[in-house]
Amino acid sequence: MKKTALFALLLLFTAVGIFSCQKDSGVDPAGSDATVDRKALLTQWADSLVKPGYQRFNDKMAVLKTKTTAFTAAPTPATLLDARQAWQTAYLEWQKVELFEFGPAESVSLRNHFNIYPADAAGINRNIITGTYDFEVATAIPQQGFPALDYLLNGVAMGDAAIVQQYVASAGHRRYLTDVVAKMDQTFGTVYSQWNSSYRDTFINNAGTDASSSLSRVINAYSLYFERYLRAGKVGIPAGTMTGTPRPEKIEAYYLKGTLPLQLATTAHATVQSFFNGRAGRPSLKSYLDALGAKDSRSGQSLTSIVNTQFGVSAQQLSSLGPDLFTTITARNADAVASYNEMQKAVRLIKVDMTSALGITVTYVDNDGD
Amino acid sequence: MQSSPLQRYLHRYTPAAPLATFRMAFGLLVLASVVRFWAKGWIAELYLKPKFFFAYYGFEWVRPLGPYTYGLFVFCGVCALLVTLGYWYRTAAAGLFVSFTYIELMDKSTYLNHYYFVSVVALLLLVLPAGRYFSLNAHLNPARWRSEVPRWTVDALRLLMGIVYCYAGLAKLNSDWLVHAMPLRIWLPAKNDLPIIGPLLDRVWVAYAFSWFGAFYDLTVPFFLLNRRTRLWAYVTVVVFHVLTAVLFPIGMFPYVMMVAALVFFPAEAHERFLARLRGWWNTTPAARPSMSLVYAPRTRQALLLVLGVFFVVQLLLPFRYLLYPHELFWTEEGYRFSWRVMLMEKMGQVQFKVVDSATGRARLVNNYEHLSVLQEKMMSTQPDMLVQFAHYLRDYYARRGVHNPKVYADAYVSLNGRLGKSFIDPTVDLARVTDDLRPKPWILPFDDEISGL
Repeated sequence: MKKTALFALLLLFTAVGIFSCQKDSGVDPAGSDATVDRKALLTQWADSLVKPGYQRFNDKMAVLKTKTTAFTAAPTPATLLDARQAWQTAYLEWQKVELFEFGPAESVSLRNHFNIYPADAAGINRNIITGTYDFEVATAIPQQGFPALDYLLNGVAMGDAAIVQQYVASAGHRRYLTDVVAKMDQTFGTVYSQWNSSYRDTFINNAGTDASSSLSRVINAYSLYFERYLRAGKVGIPAGTMTGTPRPEKIEAYYLKGTLPLQLATTAHATVQSFFNGRAGRPSLKSYLDALGAKDSRSGQSLTSIVNTQFGVSAQQLSSLGPDLFTTITARNADAVASYNEMQKAVRLIKVDMTSALGITVTYVDNDGD
Repeated sequence: MQSSPLQRYLHRYTPAAPLATFRMAFGLLVLASVVRFWAKGWIAELYLKPKFFFAYYGFEWVRPLGPYTYGLFVFCGVCALLVTLGYWYRTAAAGLFVSFTYIELMDKSTYLNHYYFVSVVALLLLVLPAGRYFSLNAHLNPARWRSEVPRWTVDALRLLMGIVYCYAGLAKLNSDWLVHAMPLRIWLPAKNDLPIIGPLLDRVWVAYAFSWFGAFYDLTVPFFLLNRRTRLWAYVTVVVFHVLTAVLFPIGMFPYVMMVAALVFFPAEAHERFLARLRGWWNTTPAARPSMSLVYAPRTRQALLLVLGVFFVVQLLLPFRYLLYPHELFWTEEGYRFSWRVMLMEKMGQVQFKVVDSATGRARLVNNYEHLSVLQEKMMSTQPDMLVQFAHYLRDYYARRGVHNPKVYADAYVSLNGRLGKSFIDPTVDLARVTDDLRPKPWILPFDDEISGL
């Protein structure tokens, strides 16, 4: 046995020696700022992305609340414009935090309360008339949040004068607008306060890679957001890639139209990109993947550069859909479909190649290696 | 009759104790597996919630039984318990084999090598005389009691263990595993937060060391376990190795099954001592009686040996069936299952199905998650046979919803062991018309790389 063990060890070290010599030329040694340190990565995300992002959004929500309160207190064209402006600003800021649907946001289904569209205009009108509604039930999901505000501030009547008139005349409208904003404020408030109290530590201390780990949750939320809510929601579904028929009325901010819908989409896309890259010298998905040495073993190209190249192509194709996404979807449908396709390529790099390189598990069920 | 070495071997007898301890340990582990599976809520999640199940070729009639699936698990657990006790042994072993195998055949996406191992062992136990000693059967019916059994009945279990280890080792002799340390190079850094060994797992050389040691261990451990002088140390490595895999990978009960099953390599005296201690706990002192051998009638003996012979020939050949397929095994997975290929691939994929109406030409994309569980979608994305099965389900689903003669196309993207993902199957092939059988699938796109080795 002794001899055998010795032989085995010898064989092992020889092999390791041979292979490490081979490999050292190809793999760049992990630098001081490029370590496979998940806790550092999670800390960076919590303290430099999620919490500040939520703080900025919280500020915009406060303005939205003030301006809509002013509007319902005294509906005039001027207060309407103010409220609409506050809504646009908050909506754009929302694009920078919607992808954080993990932890507290996931447990309250923040997105369901903020941005499921198209808005259910008929349902909203019914709610206004009956005056009884519960924003927690499933049917009420498209009757609240930014899409509902889009309808309430831009779509309840033709032209600003008529909209103002509607609010002057109807207490139900005033009340519904107030309630929608209050519900957003309240729901976001719980998420925000949890991040500012105990959840931050829970998050950074759950530093494993199993299905319940913070990294796994974040990556899951990130790729799900990119795939379903950016790629499909903002472009694919309106462009008709799922059904074969363009449905431009399914775009985000449909009642306002103009440049905002595309602006929302490009903001979301830029957020996805910057979440991946982070800040130079700070932990990020990019630095983590580089520290792992993730690369395409066929070509030797680093995974992060492949991802960034595709992000670039995808961002460019998306921005070409301007100025007015609604018109583009019917007038230049092929471009919209092309944008969807470029995003799809990026989605795959994130969902398949990146997730695989990170070695995180996606289900709790036993697995003996595919 | 001439007395060849083989003939002499077949007439050797050995104490029945190893069979009895194996029977009890195995029964308890299966029982624990069933309880664990239930407690984790997997029965509902895997067998009740999904709308569609991936049947095995030729076993399309095996389906979850709705709420009665719980009954199936109860039945399986009861059989495992009866096997442990050695009560109604033969019937219980048959029930265990049938019910456990049925459970495993319900959905391909839950395939695990250790489940297959459990089925195979249950089949062996069905023919081996493991209920004749230290069992309720023998206690209640002393005429059935036998303290010695033919040597080959115990060796059959050892041979099976040997096959499992050696084939798992052979499967590791490929360039991804040995030359690139894949997939351990991906999996180990993901565990770098473990106490003590964590920091080591970031090192590339550790992935190589684990890969090479793993292959060496699998290939040799059965021989070290067979050898009297190395046995104890070999068993220590069995425990260390499997505890390590249990810590590092989400492989459930597998490490424990193997740790316990490997005890069968210990000599009869060790098992006898263990059983004596058990008797001590029960305060039952066995009536001292002369040892009695289980002597089969010649016909029975021949039939049993024939069954075992066929069984082992199948076991030896089945893992090599992949040679009948023309392309890279890890990529196509044609002939991959039931071959003791464990932890060899980090494979991930994404697939987008498109259903086209033959009459109107209208196309629509499918949201897989509306039809499949997370596990099912994950497994399907990288396995061609499952892609066809799901395509057929989609064909029927959309035909019921008024789509004329639906055509189903899949745009699949798969990455394997650190290679950048690439198109997996031909997106222009109408999968609705492709037959799902065991022939090579010409519509799997080339791998564009080579993994050399077995």
